[in-house]
Amino acid sequence: MPGTSVPIGLLFSSTGPYGVIARAMLNGALLAVEEVNASGQVALETVMRDPGGDLASYRTAAADLLGQGVRQVVGCYTSSSRKEVIPLFEKHDGLLWYPSHYEGFESSGNVIYTGAVPNQHLLPLVDHLLRHHGRHAFCIGSNYLWAWENNRVLREKIVRRGGTILAERYFAVEDTDFDAVIHSIFEAEPAFVFSTLVGASAYHFFRAFRRAAVARGIDQPATIPIASCSLSEPELQAIGGDANDGHLSSSVYFSTILSPENERFVRAYANRFPQGPAVCADAEASYVAVKLLAASIAATGGTDAVAVKQAVRSRRITAPQGDVRIDPDSLHAWLTPRIGRSNRDGKFEVLRENPAPIRPDPYLVWHSPRFDSADAPRHLRVVQ
Amino acid sequence: MRPRLLQNFRGLRALILATGGTGIDGLDTALERLGMVVAHVDLQAAPDLLQNCDVLFADVDLGPDLAAALCPLGQVPATPVIGLIGIEAPSRLKTLMELGATAMIRKPVHVASVYPALFLGINQFRARRDLQARLEEHERRRQGRRFLIKAIVQLMRTHGLSDDEAYDLLRRESMRARQTLEQYCEALLASQLPQPRASVAETPDQNCNHKGKGNHDASNVAA
Repeated sequence: MPGTSVPIGLLFSSTGPYGVIARAMLNGALLAVEEVNASGQVALETVMRDPGGDLASYRTAAADLLGQGVRQVVGCYTSSSRKEVIPLFEKHDGLLWYPSHYEGFESSGNVIYTGAVPNQHLLPLVDHLLRHHGRHAFCIGSNYLWAWENNRVLREKIVRRGGTILAERYFAVEDTDFDAVIHSIFEAEPAFVFSTLVGASAYHFFRAFRRAAVARGIDQPATIPIASCSLSEPELQAIGGDANDGHLSSSVYFSTILSPENERFVRAYANRFPQGPAVCADAEASYVAVKLLAASIAATGGTDAVAVKQAVRSRRITAPQGDVRIDPDSLHAWLTPRIGRSNRDGKFEVLRENPAPIRPDPYLVWHSPRFDSADAPRHLRVVQ
Repeated sequence: MRPRLLQNFRGLRALILATGGTGIDGLDTALERLGMVVAHVDLQAAPDLLQNCDVLFADVDLGPDLAAALCPLGQVPATPVIGLIGIEAPSRLKTLMELGATAMIRKPVHVASVYPALFLGINQFRARRDLQARLEEHERRRQGRRFLIKAIVQLMRTHGLSDDEAYDLLRRESMRARQTLEQYCEALLASQLPQPRASVAETPDQNCNHKGKGNHDASNVAA
């Protein structure tokens, strides 16, 4: 469509509690838009909105974009924000390109999911932990859906393989006092800590746990490593230099992946956004979302949601992480799981990588037992 | 203990019994995405196919014919039923009750409502079936209680036992006969069994073990 530009919405909370990751996502999307426009494939015109992490503002912003006739929007990071805007996309028949890893159990016909689901992030991590670190887990998380669902699946897998969940502790999202739980962790002597803490709360925990370990003369990464499915490069920077190494993360993308496509991507990102935040999995997923979106628009010649959705099914691109394509059934992406270990430079050393992309299984149809775990604790304690 | 929650529906067979129209577009796809095997059926064939499926989606817009076909004797089907609802008039909703529906989906079917409806529909059905089985078992035992009382009285009279000793003896003997206490007493009174020997001083531990195991077996059979 030479001559006409297609509006695409970018809905990211660059300000607010998870602004660091959202800015990296916005950067990834913007980089892709600029590359697409430079290529002449299709002309994209961005319409940006920053809801500041506020749910009501997400609704207003999405309604505003859709009301202006924007039919394709890349955005949202938290599941709650995605859930908030989905009804609007369904009502106005727009498409939301959701570029973040999440807990699965969703499949809206008006969302294209380019981030990883649990069979692509959590299950490879569980496998790695059981093989290399041991069977006894201590779970600590922010008290909301992401943590509950990940811990539910973790428990299912670990218990089936003869392991135990020594404890499962939840904290309010803004909590930063972890002294008591850190004491409990050292007492429990788990093989690893599984963290689903998010944002500033997580960074506080990483620092406090390391400090406490040093004070006890314990080599924390070697003795009780912290593993998670969300830890990314910008967060390593936020944790800071003396506590950011030795953590395990499961992700479909790390900035240190060795491939010509990724080296080009990392260089382009760094040149375009020298102030950061550092490139990370969700930034790559945002970049991939825009690239897939542009290719689909180019293929259909318009932004009609039905046509674009049809065009994106089975579409395949060479992304920084490798081959990525959209599964025609679930509209989730085939992605390549990897396990990384963080270092002092704020990057991840890739320890393990799947030889090929794996199919998304958002409802864990092929990866969960028929019945729920019988060993779930009857009384969970919320630690304020 | 309540039945365990079913969370993965892969391989289960779903039968869809619906009126024509576009209200259920997307239901097949949503079920297949969950790994289920889907078949459509009409009102005539539904009763025969019902026992070979794991869940039935029944469109209550089919009206009273639906209940007449699926529960001719007024009994709810022995399969989980999830109601599909277009018209929400009480006469239609009554069909949901007649079918023993344990969940419902409003038409047009929204894909995001399918997994929750399955989860609730199948697990609620299992919980209800479990509850019914327990009720029936309790009812059966309640009716058998008078045989137990008679048997105790009889043993007290014929063997000179206290009521506790008579009860212990009957319990032990019913374990040995692999019958519930009530069944054993009923048979005993009908003189189908030899009179128990009054050896109340058998090892108490053994009694204890038998008691636990016997009760467990009985409740399993009933379930």
